[in-house]
Amino acid sequence: MSIQSCVEVRNEWDIVSARQLGRNMAKELGFGTVDQARITTAISELARNIYLYAGHGKVCIEAVEEMGKKGLKIIATDKGPGIRDIRKVMEDGYTTSGGLGAGLPGVKRLMDEFSIDSSVNVGTEIIATKWIR
Amino acid sequence: MRIPILKMHEYLLISIQVELDDQTALQFQEDLLKRIHDTGAKGVVIDLTSVDMIDSFIAKVLGDVVRMSKLMGAQVMLTGIQPAVAITLIDLGISMREVPTALDLEQGLDKLRLELEE
Amino acid sequence: MRNMINDISSNKRDVIAQKWKNELSTLKNLCISSKITPDMFEQLNEEFLDMMIRYINQNDIEKDQTLHRFFDKVLQLNMPLKFLTQGLQTFRRVILDVLLQEDVKKEKAIDIYQHVDRLIDPLLNEVVEESSLFWEKTVSAQKTALMELSAPVIPVLENITVMPLIGTIDTERAKLIMENLLDGVIKNRSLVVLIDITGVPVVDTMVAHHIIQAADAVRLLGATCILVGIRPEIAQTIISLGIDLSYFPTKSTLLKGIEHALEITNQQLLKK
Repeated sequence: MSIQSCVEVRNEWDIVSARQLGRNMAKELGFGTVDQARITTAISELARNIYLYAGHGKVCIEAVEEMGKKGLKIIATDKGPGIRDIRKVMEDGYTTSGGLGAGLPGVKRLMDEFSIDSSVNVGTEIIATKWIR
Repeated sequence: MRIPILKMHEYLLISIQVELDDQTALQFQEDLLKRIHDTGAKGVVIDLTSVDMIDSFIAKVLGDVVRMSKLMGAQVMLTGIQPAVAITLIDLGISMREVPTALDLEQGLDKLRLELEE
Repeated sequence: MRNMINDISSNKRDVIAQKWKNELSTLKNLCISSKITPDMFEQLNEEFLDMMIRYINQNDIEKDQTLHRFFDKVLQLNMPLKFLTQGLQTFRRVILDVLLQEDVKKEKAIDIYQHVDRLIDPLLNEVVEESSLFWEKTVSAQKTALMELSAPVIPVLENITVMPLIGTIDTERAKLIMENLLDGVIKNRSLVVLIDITGVPVVDTMVAHHIIQAADAVRLLGATCILVGIRPEIAQTIISLGIDLSYFPTKSTLLKGIEHALEITNQQLLKK
């Protein structure tokens, strides 16, 4: 049993709502200010990827508990074009949008656990978790 | 939403107090460059004390603003970056080494003055 | 059943005590240390036995925490856990011996066994649980103490702060160092931070990476980071590993670093 909150991402303003949701939940769960910033930033990166590359998708956030640890899980899903070469997008500095290319590898560093599942023309699902220290 | 830009002598002062969405950030970039052009300002201080998150997009906009302003002859100083924000930027792999920084607005202005008078 | 045990344990207290002491005397050497004198050992032993007899007689002193307090005391004294576990096991053996000395039928004997087991087993569990809790607490207290020691930020002069690093730097510690460092910069309004790595035994790519990240973060806040305490062998490894530290000012000693920091902040130390 876990409570899940989701934000549909269709435009730039949804990115802001997604990260506000994440920040509030991180605060409620008792994350410190640094980890709150990490979580908010990770959500912002994931939501922006959805907006930029898939156009439409959603970001869900839920509280998780495992072996006495409490944490927060972000699930970002879209039915966009998918990622052809996952290894490539996980390289620092790789970008197709003219950004800094810090997005996905950055999210991986911001969070404690990170997994990515993507099929071309089907969509992408990224799950990232942060545990309370 | 527009971020107010204040003019003080040859300097422009900006304190970002709102949650930055992409549009606001890009609008700010445009407004600032226009103000630099109109006023001929030599220095700009952007204070980020109230900003609690900078993602790679906003970092890019800020970095771009610094470089663009420099092209137009204005030195930009970022001030008041919070520890949590700095740590997040480092995690993202963004160190903004070419961007001048200072602890707060006051020190930012002092540093700018020193650099511009030399 | 209960009555029978009650009778025997009060009537034959002396026999039980004698057997118990004989069996436990082997533990004596193990327990006696600088903190525990032979007298103390005897006293604890006596207290233990007395409590056990009360326990099987009333079977309710666990409610008033007497047992709990005794276990706690033994653990606090750093006695080996064996003293408690073996003590309990010995007590079970002794009490069974005494009970079964009476002429009893087979069914009755099984009954007695089961009854005594039901009395003693929960205690054994409690002892084990209690001691693991005790150690957990100790370990976590030490961990906190270590964390506090691990990254102090010291303001030395106006706007100048020093962070001496001692010991190995792993990823978890690097995170703590970074957070302490940045909070220190804000709190002391530092313009210059000196990171002293004299006490860091090995600087490999990983450690260098953490230090570079810390320096980058300090710069984002608007302060300058100077790396000091670079010993010859560390300079050698840094260069042979191809680590680029050229972006930050580095100095061989803390003193030279402070001189440089004074320059940056436009200050001077005057001799009287």
